[in-house]
Amino acid sequence: MVGPQYDLVGNPLGAVRSTFERAAAAAAAESGGHEPVAAFRGKDWGASEVFRSFLFEQGGLDKVPVLDESNLGLIKPNTLVRFRGMVQDMLGNEFYVGAFKDGSTWRTNKFSDSSPFSMPHPCDSHLWERHLFHCVPVPGQNSWTRESSPGPDLRRMASCLTSEQREKRKRGADNDAMDVSESGSGKTSSSSKKTKDGVQISNSSVEMSMNEEHVPEMNGGDHHIPGSSFSCLVKVYDMPESQVKLNDVSEFIGVYTFDPELAAPSDNSDDIMFDLMEDVTAQLPPSKVPRLHCLVWRNLSAHDFLSRPPAVEPSPILLRGIRQSLLSHLTLVLGKDELAAQCLLLHLLSRLRNKVDVVTVGRLSLNFTGFNRESVSIFGNQLNNLFQRLLPYSQVIPLSIEYLNTATLQPRKDNQSGRLVTGVLQLPQGTHLTFDETLLQSGSLTSKGVENTMLLKNLMESQKVEYDFEFYKLEMATDVQLLTLSEGKSNILPSDLIVSFRPSSVPAVNASSEELESWRWYLATVRSLPQSTETDTYQMIQDEMVNAMRDDRSLGCSELSRWLTMAQIMAASFGEKSLSMEHWQMVKELERLRKERLQ
Amino acid sequence: MASRGGGDGNSPPPSVSSPDTPPHPGRRTPSGAAAAARQQQQRQNWTGRFPPTPSTPMSTDDVPLSSEAGDDDTPETDGGGGAGADATPVFVWGTNISVQDVNAAILRFLRHFRDPRDAGRVDPVMDEGKYMRAIHRILELEGGESLDVDAHDVFDHDPDLYGKMVRYPLEVLAIFDIVLMDLVARIEPLFEKHIQTRIYNLKSSICLRNLNPSDIEKMVSIKGMIIRCSSVIPELKEAVFRCLVCGFYSEPVMVDRDKQIIKLQETPDEIPEGGTPHTVSVLMHDKLVDAGKPGDRVEITGIYRAMSIRVGPTQRTVKSIFKTYIDCLHIKKTDKSRLHVEDSMDADNPNANKTTEDDFLRDKVEKLKELSKLPDIYDKLTRSLAPNIWELDDVKRGLLCQLFGGNPLRLPSGASFRGDINVLLVGDPGTSKSQLLQYMHKLSPRGIYTSGRGSSAVGLTAYVTKDPETGETVLESGALVLSDKGVCCIDEFDKMSDNARSMLHEVMEQQTVSIAKAGIIASLNARTSVLACANPTESRYNPRLSVIDNIHLPPTLLSRFDLIYLILDKADEQTDRRLAKHIVSLHFENPNIEELEVLDLPTLVAYISYARKHIQPQLSDEAAEELTRGYVEMRKRGNSPGSRKKVITATARQIESLIRLSEALARMRFSEVVEVRDVVEAFRLLEVAMQQSATDHATGTIDMDLIMTGISASERQRRDNLVAATRNLVMEKMQLGGPSVRMIELLEEIRKQSSMEVHLHDLRSALGTLMTEGAVVIHGDSVKRV
Repeated sequence: MVGPQYDLVGNPLGAVRSTFERAAAAAAAESGGHEPVAAFRGKDWGASEVFRSFLFEQGGLDKVPVLDESNLGLIKPNTLVRFRGMVQDMLGNEFYVGAFKDGSTWRTNKFSDSSPFSMPHPCDSHLWERHLFHCVPVPGQNSWTRESSPGPDLRRMASCLTSEQREKRKRGADNDAMDVSESGSGKTSSSSKKTKDGVQISNSSVEMSMNEEHVPEMNGGDHHIPGSSFSCLVKVYDMPESQVKLNDVSEFIGVYTFDPELAAPSDNSDDIMFDLMEDVTAQLPPSKVPRLHCLVWRNLSAHDFLSRPPAVEPSPILLRGIRQSLLSHLTLVLGKDELAAQCLLLHLLSRLRNKVDVVTVGRLSLNFTGFNRESVSIFGNQLNNLFQRLLPYSQVIPLSIEYLNTATLQPRKDNQSGRLVTGVLQLPQGTHLTFDETLLQSGSLTSKGVENTMLLKNLMESQKVEYDFEFYKLEMATDVQLLTLSEGKSNILPSDLIVSFRPSSVPAVNASSEELESWRWYLATVRSLPQSTETDTYQMIQDEMVNAMRDDRSLGCSELSRWLTMAQIMAASFGEKSLSMEHWQMVKELERLRKERLQ
Repeated sequence: MASRGGGDGNSPPPSVSSPDTPPHPGRRTPSGAAAAARQQQQRQNWTGRFPPTPSTPMSTDDVPLSSEAGDDDTPETDGGGGAGADATPVFVWGTNISVQDVNAAILRFLRHFRDPRDAGRVDPVMDEGKYMRAIHRILELEGGESLDVDAHDVFDHDPDLYGKMVRYPLEVLAIFDIVLMDLVARIEPLFEKHIQTRIYNLKSSICLRNLNPSDIEKMVSIKGMIIRCSSVIPELKEAVFRCLVCGFYSEPVMVDRDKQIIKLQETPDEIPEGGTPHTVSVLMHDKLVDAGKPGDRVEITGIYRAMSIRVGPTQRTVKSIFKTYIDCLHIKKTDKSRLHVEDSMDADNPNANKTTEDDFLRDKVEKLKELSKLPDIYDKLTRSLAPNIWELDDVKRGLLCQLFGGNPLRLPSGASFRGDINVLLVGDPGTSKSQLLQYMHKLSPRGIYTSGRGSSAVGLTAYVTKDPETGETVLESGALVLSDKGVCCIDEFDKMSDNARSMLHEVMEQQTVSIAKAGIIASLNARTSVLACANPTESRYNPRLSVIDNIHLPPTLLSRFDLIYLILDKADEQTDRRLAKHIVSLHFENPNIEELEVLDLPTLVAYISYARKHIQPQLSDEAAEELTRGYVEMRKRGNSPGSRKKVITATARQIESLIRLSEALARMRFSEVVEVRDVVEAFRLLEVAMQQSATDHATGTIDMDLIMTGISASERQRRDNLVAATRNLVMEKMQLGGPSVRMIELLEEIRKQSSMEVHLHDLRSALGTLMTEGAVVIHGDSVKRV
């Protein structure tokens, strides 16, 4: 395919249509003029191919502006844009006239809202379908992730594709095209300036401190409730809907459309009947919610936010070094409490690895006890600042009676509007949540408070959030890291690991941006490190567990399971692919020290 | 093309049209007069809101009617002829489906279809087909305005007709209605009402999210839940008919129609992981209006339609987007929710209303019944309960009994006996008590899981409390009211406050909870079974002490539990190794994980809830006899010859427990009769539990006194002996009003005399008894005779 003959950024639809007309003509010639375009339903006739090659092989990605709140209205309609966001709601399918015959020529409406040519009536036409997703800026997204906006490094993208099986599967059909060669350049183009402007504005909600004075509605108080803030209606073509999951964080590249005529309010809107027939997109005015007809999309992982990832293999030696520097930084932030720092490191590296009916494996929620309001304002703020600069998405929830009684934690389907109304707990995979329980005093909970408490407990225990669909509840699986700062052990938020926090100094540290970058890369890399399974390891661990149970009869299934989780993370934190006796012993020692403190 | 409608003088053309509406089949409804009204109605819509064009484009790439493809030069139908009669009507059967053929096929079907189930029936009077009988019934009652036609019947009689009907429902149904009216007119010329054909029960139903453009204009059947209903919109419309063949205009006809739009949403079982439910609008007419309300699960049979959206009043070009909806032909309610499979169905009553009957449900129930007939169903159920926890099989059997429950009984005198079975698990930390509780919680439809530590048991509100010393936070909530008719799982029962525990007495015996609020005492139902688990007060269970001494629970409360299990950790390397293996396999996705043949959770839940709802087993005479015999034997065991003391091994309470357990065991087999084997198993279960919890370790016998009072008969004997010995000692060694003696000294004296081991606390309690007798006075560690 030849790229340059089209202005793919300025007039993407031109390329879409001319490739279509050529393909249709070719198909017509082949089939003898009979039903030439029927085969194009749900398939790419070569248009997406042109764009993929332009974006990923010819460095075109850097030339594509990122659509956000700041430049909405500045970007010309019918041009190519990028949007990074979370799939907040799935609005089902939309049927449209995909192809029609204009005289003797077949034309297409794919990747646009309305027909560029007036459709003659009657005419031969084909009805095709596309999927609608309502996407919002990722809740709790930290500002550093936006620095990489101008365009991800292509070499790294290629390596990430090969290493991450999960990603690969999700990406499905797009895979081949994404698996680009080394030829792509990693330079940051001049367009990066443009996108940086929006960073400060949209991120303000994240920059919250842990002060008790704070309004209970953190998370910007449901700031991504449909219609109330910036969001994007993405129309995705040619793939089964199941490839995209709710709360996925993805990058969509496609045609931005805005048709003022479409924005005109529909007359007769009080007709209840047609109101019911109305599709939900009617409530998303195009002036506020831009439409993006997606040509290429991909799911984003933590790796995709790194601006200058080292172009090296994650060797154990390299990872060990970074581990040491991160651990000493954590220790300083935690007032020289090394035990707490060790546990925090394991916690930050944990991720949900497996689910067997009611059991979840791999999570490691952490409860630091011994906090009071004063120490929270010192250490809590330090921790929070660090999370904001290390993790892609993090939030702080000030757990008070008032918060529990008033906050909307549960996402709820509003059957009147047909929309999913978001709640604080609608979060993308990999979010970090910090609960500040020092604010919690004795008091009575309303039924909403009880509901919220149950939601949090359920999230803690099974990494699931129940969404309310009015007539039934649906449990959505999540993978959220949970840290609780409290005075005594929290029985409301039962964590896996309870550590009595014993600082001996006041934190006063600052990390350089190089350090931060290496730590981000370390966290993202270690969390995605594959774990090998060797039969020797099984046997070794089993023997160790039997010995441990002999020594301490109070050890139960959950505790031993947690030890194993910690040992596996410990191994990974050193860049090791499989766990050895050494790591198991380190965890046992950690546990011994931890228990000593609890006495 | 118009000629296609003609040729048969008897039947009017299937397509009705008026000059200003596009004669596309997509704009027609299945019934003649109704269609006209609909035409009218849509004409209204078009002038108000929707442009007349384009109507639904059809993609026929999935309709390869090879046998009928006579002249399929334009299978690409688009009837949108802008405006006017100049547009040549194009029918989908630009194929060679002939109206006459369809007409004849329908007539054959209506006249001659005989339900195979009626085969054996000889009814000389009504020796007619199923649908002829139905038509006669409609005429007799003069009420019905629709004829329900089972699509399976159509298929069985004429698969070709079925195929045409599903592919071209608008045309075929229009003919169907005409044939029907024709038939009616011949039987009863004066019958004026219009009868509509309502097709239901298609061969296959489609998942809501799988509806796609190729389904447009096809007959589809989808299942879902109604989430919204519009208000009913009444319409009085005037319709004019025009014959396509001769151009004849009929007199204006007044048609009275109601319409309503409902929103149908996917049910949870159809939603893939990580997805949200899809919805579809359904247009209801006439009798179907208000046939369902939000929350109902329904199966809709209808025609999938698409309608173009005009954008603005000025815009000439039409937006390329289409709205879709289903034109409803038939609505059938299915079960209300998965957990209560039985709600809308009545398995024992075959005459139940046909429209609520659901084959899917019947299948499900059949499957459950098949399961219940397995000879090893009891073991299978046991295995399926918490399959990841091994051994403890008898505990699991007891828990199963709790899930199935006994029959509550209310005597005419007003006395009532609970059917709920309460179970207490006592055991060492590290055993799987909590996991068992979690599982039970998942299995019980209205189960509540709470911790005794934070349960005020009866409160309606919840409190957060904070320990002033440790700063530990705890949620206290009223759990029992919430679990009415479910299982209330209470973890850390021993940590429950005395106050909360005392409330449990009422719950466990009266099945009510009294709440004093604002000066009013309300009694709320709490028909709940309690599953509690408690840790011993010391870190490990001390086998030398009684259950009561181990967990410090009041005996009165303890006696309310039907089954008390001790789960002791018996330092067993085999078990440890198995646990270790299990944990490792969870973490490493070990392929060697053993696969047990068990029922999955939903099946188990359905099985239990069906049994609870439908099976009310009664004691057979033999079983009652066995119960008496067993009970007498149990009592006898306490009075073994040669033993002076009387040991209570069974009380009246145990009889009630045994009945409940036997009933639960019969329910597990879906048996309406409690048999002898159930009673035998109930005795065994009770004894297993009692052996663990009520064995007097001094004598090795089962002693209900341990549960009733916390003191075994032998222990009481021992204490009495000690009191006597102490009294003697005091009388001998101490003088009335003499100097005080230190307790330690007395202890040494006693130990010299006594053959049994005496502890200081034993002596102290003996002296306490003497003090109440007024024989001595105790000041701290010293004793004075008075």
